[in-house]
Amino acid sequence: MSGTSGAIEIGKITLPFSEAIRIALEDIRHRLVRTAITIASVVLAVGFMDALLALAALFHGEGITTFQLWLLFISLLVCIVGIMNSMLISVAERTREIGTWKCLGALDKHVLELFLIEAFLIGVLGGIIGWFIGVGASFAYGFIYKEKLGSIKAVLEALKAPGLPLPGLAGLPSIASLLVASLGLAVVLSLVATIYPAYRAAKLDPAEALRYEV
Amino acid sequence: MRYEYTVETEDLAKYYTMGPAIIKALDGINLKIKRGEYVSVMGPSGSGKTTLFNMIGGLDRPTRGRVFIDEVDIAKLDAYELAWLRCRKIGYIFQTFNLIPVLTALENVMLPMIFAGVPREQRLKKATELLERVGLGDRLHHKPGELSGGQQQRVAIARALANDPAIVLADEPTANLDMKTGLDIINLLRQLNREKGVTVITATHDLKMIDVSDRIVYLRDGKIERIETRHEIAIEAEEEF
Repeated sequence: MSGTSGAIEIGKITLPFSEAIRIALEDIRHRLVRTAITIASVVLAVGFMDALLALAALFHGEGITTFQLWLLFISLLVCIVGIMNSMLISVAERTREIGTWKCLGALDKHVLELFLIEAFLIGVLGGIIGWFIGVGASFAYGFIYKEKLGSIKAVLEALKAPGLPLPGLAGLPSIASLLVASLGLAVVLSLVATIYPAYRAAKLDPAEALRYEV
Repeated sequence: MRYEYTVETEDLAKYYTMGPAIIKALDGINLKIKRGEYVSVMGPSGSGKTTLFNMIGGLDRPTRGRVFIDEVDIAKLDAYELAWLRCRKIGYIFQTFNLIPVLTALENVMLPMIFAGVPREQRLKKATELLERVGLGDRLHHKPGELSGGQQQRVAIARALANDPAIVLADEPTANLDMKTGLDIINLLRQLNREKGVTVITATHDLKMIDVSDRIVYLRDGKIERIETRHEIAIEAEEEF
């Protein structure tokens, strides 16, 4: 405490990033089923995009039609809405918890940070799984319908197919560049969808939050 | 210690407007609480106990009047300073325990220390000591879901003391506990109050709190009805026999 009567020396409030990540991971682990459903939302949107693009790259001559692009766009919107809904429910369920965080010293920005980190992790997981499923689906399609992937050799050939015309990724084989694109897209979807719920969480008034009954 | 009164309220009032009606949750509270005192605030539902708790705890702003914590007018603090106050100067205990469900007992107690910037080794040591002091040395790594109500409240008490606060604010700490457990918690709070010299302010219905309090403030309709001291209660009890 400082020398003059009536003055408190205000110190630091920090939430180290490593701790924030650890807590976000625990939050995900604890609510695995809910998180799995949110991730599924990302997986479906990303998987769809990957399937379309993989088909276009693997089986040259198959372009992406305008119709497919519209479908893709809408599926991304649906994904965002789904994630946002899931996150809003999560915030509502954790209202009292957030009130407690603020009693322990958390600033608004710390609460925001925790939710955005969770969203990021969900994006990363969704991106990887979505890529797997999307590319897998296009391979399955090639095997079943086009009879183009009957042998291991054919599969390995397909894996080395030339890169998609995505900026900065032209050097990579299309499958790898799809992974990068998927991760990027998934993280963006997840973060964009979570901004509003996370903002709501951060702005909760501690006194009201503590008395909240779901 | 340096400040004579840890908590001081000056004509504290909180009004809520519900449409045309004005609800006076608190209507002019003047209270001075000394460092190390154990004060219970009692009164029927709606008397303003929880509102007073929110005011002193820096969780809500008054409509009128001022609250001083260690002689600092908390209305003058910005969001950052308020967060610091809640982190370092005040420990909170709730009727519903309010532990973070995804963290273990140990991690829950360490949480306020993380915000205060205490290094990991120190946090671990202090949290372990506090949990052992409240009798949960063998449950450090249990999550709240694996603890009974009384045990969860003990973790909450340990957590409230993590940063050596000036005040511990307890809002109905025993309301969700059975009589025996409630008594244990009350006695624990009293012991810690004596050991550490930390001011304890409880809002409560629980008559068992009377025995351990230095003073009891009776609230009714947002005003102080009367204040009793432990001396007076003892005399009253004697006169009855």
